[in-house]
Amino acid sequence: MRTGNHIESYPRHIALSDNPVVWFWLVALMAAMIVLPAFSGLFVLGLAIRILIAAVGAIGLNLLTGSTGQISLGQSGFLAAGCYTTGLLITDYNWPPELALPMAGIVAAALSFLVGIPSLRLKGLYLAITTLAFSFIITQFLLFAEPITHGPYGVRIEDTVLFGFDLADPTTMYYFCLGILALVTLGVLNIMRTRVGRAFNAIRDQDIAARAMGINLTTYKLTAFAASSFIVGLAGGLMAFQFRFINVDIFSVTLAIEALAMIIVGGLGSVAGAIIGAVFIILLPEVVGDAIGLLPAGISDVLSRGALEIKGLLIGLVIILTLRLEPDGLMGVWRNMKRYWSRWPLSV
Amino acid sequence: MDLFLNLVASGLVIGSVYGLIGMSFAIIFRTTGVLNFAQGEVMMLVAYTAWTLTHTLLFPFWLLVPSTIVLAALIGMAVERLFIRPMTGQPIFAIVMVTIGIAITLRSLTTLVWGHEFEGFSVPFSGGVVEIGPVFLLTEQLAVLILFAAVSLMTWAFFRFSRVGMAMRATSQDETAALLMGVDSRRMSSFAWAISAIVSGLAGVMVSVLFARAPDMWHFGLKSFPAAILGGLDSPIGAGFGGLIIGVIGELSAGYVWNGLKEISGLILIIVILMVRPYGLFGEKELERV
Repeated sequence: MRTGNHIESYPRHIALSDNPVVWFWLVALMAAMIVLPAFSGLFVLGLAIRILIAAVGAIGLNLLTGSTGQISLGQSGFLAAGCYTTGLLITDYNWPPELALPMAGIVAAALSFLVGIPSLRLKGLYLAITTLAFSFIITQFLLFAEPITHGPYGVRIEDTVLFGFDLADPTTMYYFCLGILALVTLGVLNIMRTRVGRAFNAIRDQDIAARAMGINLTTYKLTAFAASSFIVGLAGGLMAFQFRFINVDIFSVTLAIEALAMIIVGGLGSVAGAIIGAVFIILLPEVVGDAIGLLPAGISDVLSRGALEIKGLLIGLVIILTLRLEPDGLMGVWRNMKRYWSRWPLSV
Repeated sequence: MDLFLNLVASGLVIGSVYGLIGMSFAIIFRTTGVLNFAQGEVMMLVAYTAWTLTHTLLFPFWLLVPSTIVLAALIGMAVERLFIRPMTGQPIFAIVMVTIGIAITLRSLTTLVWGHEFEGFSVPFSGGVVEIGPVFLLTEQLAVLILFAAVSLMTWAFFRFSRVGMAMRATSQDETAALLMGVDSRRMSSFAWAISAIVSGLAGVMVSVLFARAPDMWHFGLKSFPAAILGGLDSPIGAGFGGLIIGVIGELSAGYVWNGLKEISGLILIIVILMVRPYGLFGEKELERV
């Protein structure tokens, strides 16, 4: 009788996955994603692009909050910084988009030192507040420093051609985002199975104990901040190409909460969880919106007028219910299901 | 000099609002160790309810005040009972995340019910001008200052002298010992949420009288974090005075340096303070065992 999946060697322990079934389904998923544009309309493609960008951002936030345990409510500030960096470099300084996009990540990572260094001594709630304060300062700067950032007028991005591909075309944009998401996923998965990733997890579990075991808190916390902000900034850069007209209103507190909802629902500390969470949180309002449309005309009219509020309500309730019922999120549900089936007669 | 005094006066007015909300952060944090990210939304909900009492149900002012206080207490207790109590025993991180969930839920619910319109909130004492030396204050601004003084005094007296207040302090110091002495710590948590909803709800009513009853009122909750940090999250009175300082600094920096600083000078200040003193200006360093 099978008693479980026993890992007996270290290389197998740190392998991305030792299970051929997982690889098979991953390849199948990738193939499905690649042929998707051939079958879908513009609406579905737009939704898919939103999900892909959100997933990049959620993976970035998850690296800091889920894996390293540093609660940040300020990643929407880095998202804004990345988005504006790309937009302004292309529009005002005529940089080629190929360089402006990576700069989004680099500028966000550089800014993260500004918030990361004061945060070295802070933990938990105080860190959450300073990061929140920092994102306010960034949006306030974007709004008031009109000579640099166009202030309230926003930035229009005309040049969207990267390496000869025009990102204004949804299909091209979709493939580009898919590629970035695949790279980021692979990158983070690989960080997490090195010494750096294990140090992140040790800091999350107990930072004083981690320090006693020879992990330099300063270095690793700053690395986590910088890596997370680089990825989030990159997501911001992608948003510049997605919207092609950006202003400060996009980067509200609600966006930061949505991002937090994604990683909580998906499962803190897991890359797959961040992606599933992004899919869930983006699709939830759409599905509920469609369900409302099926209701009798009188009720659906009233409810569809408050679409934005209903979205907020759903996100709030999803956060509360996930934390109460299954703190490990959808990944936790999946793990429980797997354990139940694989150990069936003995499972609880 | 006149400009300076007027800026200080309006800073004290807005600072009183920050102080009241900061106080309500501190009341919950002190008793339960949870930082309530939904305080601004609780404030907003109470203010909207009070607005409906005045403008739809036409309550006279003498009835409005006690009924607002009762409603605020009920709202605070309901939120605690529905969302926070079931999380007992979970890590603080999870509970704080739940308050973030509560924040966005309450905010959406309020705008869903009352709509997006800005509405004025009229009270009998609004509209007049008081002249104190070179300083001009509207009567409602003066009312905010008086309210702040009254609430601070009452909060101080409550924690210092009343049985429940002492029980709450005992719970925050050592929950097990308090339980052994016969203090029901769950009831203390419920009380803390009710009292903080009353304090922030009164602030919310004053915000709607000063500006408007508006769907973005919850921003005041976030802007009051600096007050709570400056005065110490575990000291309600400290948080109140922290609010006054933040308010005055905000107005002065906007008046003399740069208009964009009005909203963020407090935030910059706390980032600097937390760099120097990671546990707040008056907070005590926690000792941790591994």
